[in-house]
Amino acid sequence: MRELPVFLGVVIVYVGTGLLNPIFFTPAVLNDILFGVAIVAMLAVAQTFVIVMRHIDLSVGSVVGFTSFLIGDLSSKGFSLIAVLAVALGVGALVGATNGFLVAYLGLPSLVVTLATLYIVRGIFNEVGKGQTIVESMVPRELNWLGLNHLYIFSYLFVIVIVLMVAAGLVMRRARAARDLYAIGSNPQAAKLVGIPVARRIFLAFVATGALSGLAGAVMLARFNSASTQSGLGLELLVIAACVVGGVSIAGGTGSVYGAVLGAVLLQEILLAIGALGIPQFWQLAVNGTLIICAIGLDRYLSTRTKASTIMGYSK
Amino acid sequence: MRKPRELAGSFTWDKGVVLFLILATFFSSYASPYFATTSNVSFVVASIVEIAIIAIAMSYLIISGEIDLSVASILSLTSASIGFAFQNGIPFEQSIAIGILVGTAAGFFNGILVTVFGLPSLAVTIATLALFRGLCWVLLENKPVNQLPREWIALANENIPNTFLPWTIIPLVILGLIGWFVLHHTKIGRWTFAIGTNAEAAKFSGIPVAMVKLGLFGFTGFMSAIAGVIYTLRFASASPDGGMGYELSVIAAVLFGGVSIAGGVGTMWGVLAAVLSLGVIRSGLQLAGFSANALLVVSGSLLLISVVLPRITDYVRSQKPWGSTQPKKWKRKNEE
Repeated sequence: MRELPVFLGVVIVYVGTGLLNPIFFTPAVLNDILFGVAIVAMLAVAQTFVIVMRHIDLSVGSVVGFTSFLIGDLSSKGFSLIAVLAVALGVGALVGATNGFLVAYLGLPSLVVTLATLYIVRGIFNEVGKGQTIVESMVPRELNWLGLNHLYIFSYLFVIVIVLMVAAGLVMRRARAARDLYAIGSNPQAAKLVGIPVARRIFLAFVATGALSGLAGAVMLARFNSASTQSGLGLELLVIAACVVGGVSIAGGTGSVYGAVLGAVLLQEILLAIGALGIPQFWQLAVNGTLIICAIGLDRYLSTRTKASTIMGYSK
Repeated sequence: MRKPRELAGSFTWDKGVVLFLILATFFSSYASPYFATTSNVSFVVASIVEIAIIAIAMSYLIISGEIDLSVASILSLTSASIGFAFQNGIPFEQSIAIGILVGTAAGFFNGILVTVFGLPSLAVTIATLALFRGLCWVLLENKPVNQLPREWIALANENIPNTFLPWTIIPLVILGLIGWFVLHHTKIGRWTFAIGTNAEAAKFSGIPVAMVKLGLFGFTGFMSAIAGVIYTLRFASASPDGGMGYELSVIAAVLFGGVSIAGGVGTMWGVLAAVLSLGVIRSGLQLAGFSANALLVVSGSLLLISVVLPRITDYVRSQKPWGSTQPKKWKRKNEE
């Protein structure tokens, strides 16, 4: 159970902060945590597919910003919700397919490829966006509603993420193609030798990550009710941090989507706990950084298989 | 006439970058009469100094098979430390020294986590990216320090008398020459390449791998600190959000300059030419009336080309010589 440490972390921070400041136990705060975490959690689920393969996708921040803008822009021009969601999915899948093709079939390092597509997608986004801002009146009504309403005490955005997480979790546990991703991450050469179609799996995993990240644009738009060319800037590192905190090892081969979501929740929870404990907000980022270091250290301590030679998240 | 295979054999990416730099300069001068003016050249040089100085150190780190994503945060932490010390009554010269010490210590902190605790550098430096940036906010909160001594600011913003080059080019040239010499002409440089090619083998041949890596992380911290000092002076302000996103620009420039992310391959002049050409293209595109977005697309595409093209030359090299019945002689370098 690699999710156990992060799960304990979530519980301890929640209970500990609540005991010191009872306001933390109110449903409003719980909702703040879950509402706020939805985007990063969804992107972390998507990112898990590539990280378990010992790859990385840095382009998600640009993709999610671009699609959240596109959804607002197109629906204000009269396209239906289904159509704009399909466009978001399609744009994400297209970027994912580009990444996947370059990494899987040309054998290029994913760090470089996705850094390049991060720039290219952001550039195209800025050109399409032309400094425009999506305001509340341009957001599709359904998304607006999802962002404002709750199922019992849970924000619908978080419910969506949970449904996605469970679906992705089942696939990664049961489906053979998804199990292969772990094999590829543990040992790419061995995976090839036992007959796994490595290139095809890598390609499809990148497409899945891209498509999910594209859809996350809808969650982002519902969350903020606005979008600009600054949307999603720098989000990629936060997402990877959530995965790492959640026990999805950057060295590949281990971790689950449940851990990734828990990691995102823990980061968000600490952000609010800092406020609830009366610590100045300026400490938030430093605490997050320290937490990530602890998580990596714990990961290293728990796994005897992880070798320091697989440092950069890809094989030579 | 030489055969394509031989042409491909003599082509390396870093030579391509230098060629590209020359072409970009011609293109920019042709596209706008303002490009080759002294004030613009001064501006282009001044705008790349910080990235270039960090890129020198980052080249070593990536060649040795590691990476540091926290460089922009170290730059900012240095800046914040200078501001914090100066605000608390410490003379400016000493504040700068404190800033450089803090930055170097931050680099060694990364190095200790990687070498002593055996943690992966990609993950560690994502964490310290947040940690160091967080410390900036802790030090300065949201109050930038602006009342810095005027003569120091002038130093970073004025040209060397009777030339069109800014003062800040002097540390860049000195550090660049040292970086080039050490990487290509000393034992430490050869060790760096050996570690990046095969860390295990390097260890067995007696290279103190952990010490070298620790030193390289400390060096990267030091260089980021120097860049932080220049950044602070150039913008005449120590703020907690300085240099946001520089880490990816630095890495993009280093990779575009022909350093392999897999380690063991790269040249210092390729990297410096890459940083300079990115500055030249940015200026050229702006003067030619393109938006900043075009620059993003161009940078990304160049980065892709820089990894795709070596694959193609490798492939051409791996083909048997034309007209010969000899079997394949040249194998791809990274063949499994």
